Amino acid sequence: MDDLRARVVKIVGRVMDLPAELLDEKSSMDDVESWDSLRHMNLVMALEEEFGLSFTDEEIVEMLSVEIILETLKSRR
Amino acid sequence: MTDLSFSEIQEYLHRHDRSELPGLTISVLRNVVVEPLEPYLEYLACRMGFNAEVSFGSYDNVFQEAVGGDGGLLGPETDAVLVFLKLEGLSWDLARNFNALSGEQVRAEAARLEEHFSRVLSGIRGQTGAMVLWHGLELPAYPAGGILDSREGEGQSAAVAGLNEFLKKSLRSAGNCYLVDLNLCRLRVGDKDFYDWRYWHIGRAPYSREALREIAGEDFRFIRPLKGRNKKCLVLDCDNTLWGGVVGEDGLGGIVLGRTYPGSAYYEFQQEALELYHRGVILALCSRNDEENVWEVFRSHPDMVLRREHIAAARIAWQDKATGLRQLARDLNIGLDSMVFMDDSEFEVEFVRETLPEVTAIHLPADKAVENREILAACGLFDTLSLSEEDRKRGAMYQAEAQRKKLRTQAADLLNYLKSLEMVLTLSFADELTVPRIAQLTQKTNQFNLTTRRYTEEEIRNLAQSGRADVFCLRLSDRFGDSGIIGVGILRYDSGRALIDEFLLSCRVLGRGVEDAFIIRTLKIALGRGCRSATGEYIPTARNGQVKDFYEKHGFAALEEARGRKAKSFSYDLGQGVGSEPAFFKEITSERIPDNG
Repeated sequence: MDDLRARVVKIVGRVMDLPAELLDEKSSMDDVESWDSLRHMNLVMALEEEFGLSFTDEEIVEMLSVEIILETLKSRR
Repeated sequence: MTDLSFSEIQEYLHRHDRSELPGLTISVLRNVVVEPLEPYLEYLACRMGFNAEVSFGSYDNVFQEAVGGDGGLLGPETDAVLVFLKLEGLSWDLARNFNALSGEQVRAEAARLEEHFSRVLSGIRGQTGAMVLWHGLELPAYPAGGILDSREGEGQSAAVAGLNEFLKKSLRSAGNCYLVDLNLCRLRVGDKDFYDWRYWHIGRAPYSREALREIAGEDFRFIRPLKGRNKKCLVLDCDNTLWGGVVGEDGLGGIVLGRTYPGSAYYEFQQEALELYHRGVILALCSRNDEENVWEVFRSHPDMVLRREHIAAARIAWQDKATGLRQLARDLNIGLDSMVFMDDSEFEVEFVRETLPEVTAIHLPADKAVENREILAACGLFDTLSLSEEDRKRGAMYQAEAQRKKLRTQAADLLNYLKSLEMVLTLSFADELTVPRIAQLTQKTNQFNLTTRRYTEEEIRNLAQSGRADVFCLRLSDRFGDSGIIGVGILRYDSGRALIDEFLLSCRVLGRGVEDAFIIRTLKIALGRGCRSATGEYIPTARNGQVKDFYEKHGFAALEEARGRKAKSFSYDLGQGVGSEPAFFKEITSERIPDNG
């Protein structure tokens, strides 16, 4: 499970141009400055590529923090 | 264009420092969200050797930016303007509420959009002369009228197609403006994968990553030739590329090539190469083989599509492909960076990528020969912005050049050889028919070019009509064929002095004394205009070193230059006469100097 967390944090860091150390489960659109709606599109895309799945529109508009992204991914397993 | 995923492209861009590359300024005007286009544009620019700087206009603010000049998006430094005006944002009624409209309302709405397009286009042109790439309207996949839509004269599909026709016409007459057909991109990607309806609803971003990748690729089919980075020559391996199997082992009867499976994969690949040949792409061969075996296939195999006369040059020998490619570049007098090399051997392709990174090397996997035609058609590297008569005949002209070379080895000495060519030169002044080719030559000639000044068609036309300059061109034909327009000169006049502003020759015709006759004819024009002296300039570039002594060799005297100035000037006193042209030309004629000059 930590492995999943590490993968997600790495992707978020890459898309948001931040070192992964600065991110944790609480990181979200509210407190990461570069996490705007366009970067969110890129993030969803990168996650879909990495995990080989496709999110629903409802999931996309909900998953605005690392924590919710992890929950969404777990629910899909 | 590329198989890289979105993440891989972002990684690539992270890894490559692009700050030293020349800039490519792209501005995007749009009424939809297309920001994820940026990494694809940056990636393709980087592969082409440029650092793309992409700016997006505000969402749905096209009119203000184009007509009002808001946002500072467009200017003289802009290279390309991408326009995305999606029908849904322009006219909801035409796009989605079509059946509620009367025929009259449809026509009125279409007229309103045409007016809008015209104003946006002239607004852009008022601010910049940059290339405009206007992404046309998408035809409805499920037209409002259902199966009857196209039976009725005024269906939705017809209305959208009509607007695209209007756009095409307007763009053509605006100059340096092109319609990018999004429907082609949809065909290639497939409609289901082209749109991401989630993001259309969440954020007015209709196009999927795959779609944007294809669109960026299509845009670069235009941008590449704009920057002179389109490829000119396709170099093909033979065994397992032009046919299946190895001719040296399997023999003429044993190779795989024909109308039916499995030979059809190679047959169709050759046919695609021939299509490129007719578009002016030079075809060449680079193969490890006994030469006679290869030509035997060209001569005798009943299902060969390509014939020997389509092949401008060949290097068939037991040597590595990098050596062969270098030799071909010399044979054809073209740069390695204008070559695309295709081979089924991963080893050869990797070796060429390592040793000659300027060459674009494409691997054709031997176990998937059925896809080769598609790979060739999809590569998009050979597109040009216009197709001149010279382009269409290019293959034949290179073939003629090969025959000349052969004759040269037969002719006892150079003078006899040149005489035996029966060359005819014709000098004429720029007119509507010749302006496009003249502009094209100023834009792409690098080697025999004294000043390397680049001119657009518009600028050439203005110069020719200015009354203070002459723009003229030179045609060459000989017993092997017509080479078309191969030289351009521009003289500017200033109080009894003629300045040779432009003097260039296509590299195809060098070494035949054409330059000697051309400079004399150029001086004769200056004399005919009553000038007392002519001044020539040499502006050095990375590629025109061969002409640095040209003026001195032709009786011009070097002028003192200000220290630190790279350009050199030379003066010719017309009082001494202009000398005589080489005697080996069969005929040299000049059009009478126009009155208004």
